[in-house]
Amino acid sequence: MTMSTTKSSHGPLMLKGMLATVLLVLILPLMPYVFAVNTDVSSSVAGSVPNPGADLWRAVRARDGVVAGSSQVKGVETGVLIDPAGKAWLEFRKEKLIPYSAYVFAGVASALLLYFLLHGRIRIKAGRSGVLVPRYSRYERWVHWIMVVVFMTLALTGVILLYGRFVLIPLLGPEGFHMTAQISKWLHDIMGPIFIISLIVMAFTFFREAICRCKVDMIWFLRAGGYLGGKHPSSGKINAGQKAWYWAVVLGGIVLIGSGLVMYFPNFQQGREIMQNANMIHGLAAVFVIAFMFIHIYLASVGMEGSLECMTSGNCDENWAIEQHDLWYEEMKEEGRIGAQSSTEKQAQLPD
Amino acid sequence: MAAMKFYCDAERCIECNGCVTACKNVNEVPWGVNRRRVVTIKDGEPGERSLSVACMHCADAPCAAVCPVDCFYTTDDGIVLHDKDICIGCGYCFYACPFGAPQFPTDGAFSSRGKMDKCTFCAGGPLEDNSSEEFRKYGSNRIAEGKLPACAEMCATKALLAGDADMVSEIYRKRVVNRAQAALGKGAQLRYRNFGSKVDMKGKATN
Repeated sequence: MTMSTTKSSHGPLMLKGMLATVLLVLILPLMPYVFAVNTDVSSSVAGSVPNPGADLWRAVRARDGVVAGSSQVKGVETGVLIDPAGKAWLEFRKEKLIPYSAYVFAGVASALLLYFLLHGRIRIKAGRSGVLVPRYSRYERWVHWIMVVVFMTLALTGVILLYGRFVLIPLLGPEGFHMTAQISKWLHDIMGPIFIISLIVMAFTFFREAICRCKVDMIWFLRAGGYLGGKHPSSGKINAGQKAWYWAVVLGGIVLIGSGLVMYFPNFQQGREIMQNANMIHGLAAVFVIAFMFIHIYLASVGMEGSLECMTSGNCDENWAIEQHDLWYEEMKEEGRIGAQSSTEKQAQLPD
Repeated sequence: MAAMKFYCDAERCIECNGCVTACKNVNEVPWGVNRRRVVTIKDGEPGERSLSVACMHCADAPCAAVCPVDCFYTTDDGIVLHDKDICIGCGYCFYACPFGAPQFPTDGAFSSRGKMDKCTFCAGGPLEDNSSEEFRKYGSNRIAEGKLPACAEMCATKALLAGDADMVSEIYRKRVVNRAQAALGKGAQLRYRNFGSKVDMKGKATN
């Protein structure tokens, strides 16, 4: 009896107490919301309330370069919320590389034009002798002209992709330029690996001639190759300027290949920053080598009489050899290779 | 003229990845492409926060500034879209974007890049609205149907907000103030309630 009365008197009370506790537990966390809803949002507090979202972004950004988080989406740098390096890369490309490279190309081209107008074509002073001196073998010429095709394709397509938006889109329209740009990108991608082989072959083919003969080359540089007046400095088979061009292509080419491969294979999990830097290096090296190429093309074509035929027919005129490459000419003479031509060299001499 | 924006409320995001799934489902994106991802900061540590990130549809978009073929355009709603018929897949937008939004399906040899794919704010592309070609290339065009992006509409905690920038910021501002009011109403100081200084990147780095 007593048990049941205690039950009947205490049971509902306990239940009520438990219910009240549960309700309290449920409602209490909501109290601030009720409070907040009833308060005018635009009260004086609003001005001084920190914005946790902005604070979080700021804090994450302060840790630039570091992988700051993790993501269920797996992939390269998916944990990076914000990468400020892209801005620096963009500014470099838009505000430095594109305008300054244009100045460099225009500057070199106009300097060459000015030189041509003031100085004219460099003639063979003694006139053509009619005696031919074998200069480049058939193999060397093939190596050279294959390199020309590969390098010019790469340079042209690269330049199209660099300036196309500003120069070609106004001319061709976006759809028209799309085809040009797409073909340029494919060609650039295809020619890149061919350039690697071409460069290796070329580097070995002309290596022996491009080794520095320090004294001769130093004098050549000090006299600026005789291009700015004064006595023409002596030189071996190729002069110091040509050697500089060789090393510009070889070393520049190595830099271009290295940085190009970084961008060419995104599947090696390299991050954006590496590719941004590779792109900057690629651009700078390309501008340097292309600007140098202008000088090479100028001197090998309109700039100098008797130079282009060396690479087309393989032979040069005796007087040209004496004037431009005196030390080499003397070597050739000592070896008795002038006048006495082998059958293959005679074949090469034929106009083609 | 409206300016469409996303904003993810880090105080609400629970890293359920519902937005990521919704995006994939609605847009049927190519394999390997994730237009949206959830990043968790300080995973498992005090002050852990998650944020859902995709294209932010920047007012002055770096991707558009760098694109060599100029394939980006901004709609009247302030949504940054691109033309896949013009894109050449060079990857420059991916280098320039701070948020890692541009994605590239790897459909060639050596993971060479296909045409860029990114969040369209569920607004399709330059092709005819809701045409099958538009869907194949860009995903669905919910904006043309008068709907908001699927990710934000699917968000269970309404952490991911999408819509007109003024409305989004008004909603977020109210939330921030309400939370601060709530904290102050309980007699706590703001900095002890995870506002401000406590939400920083100090402590162990979660990589």
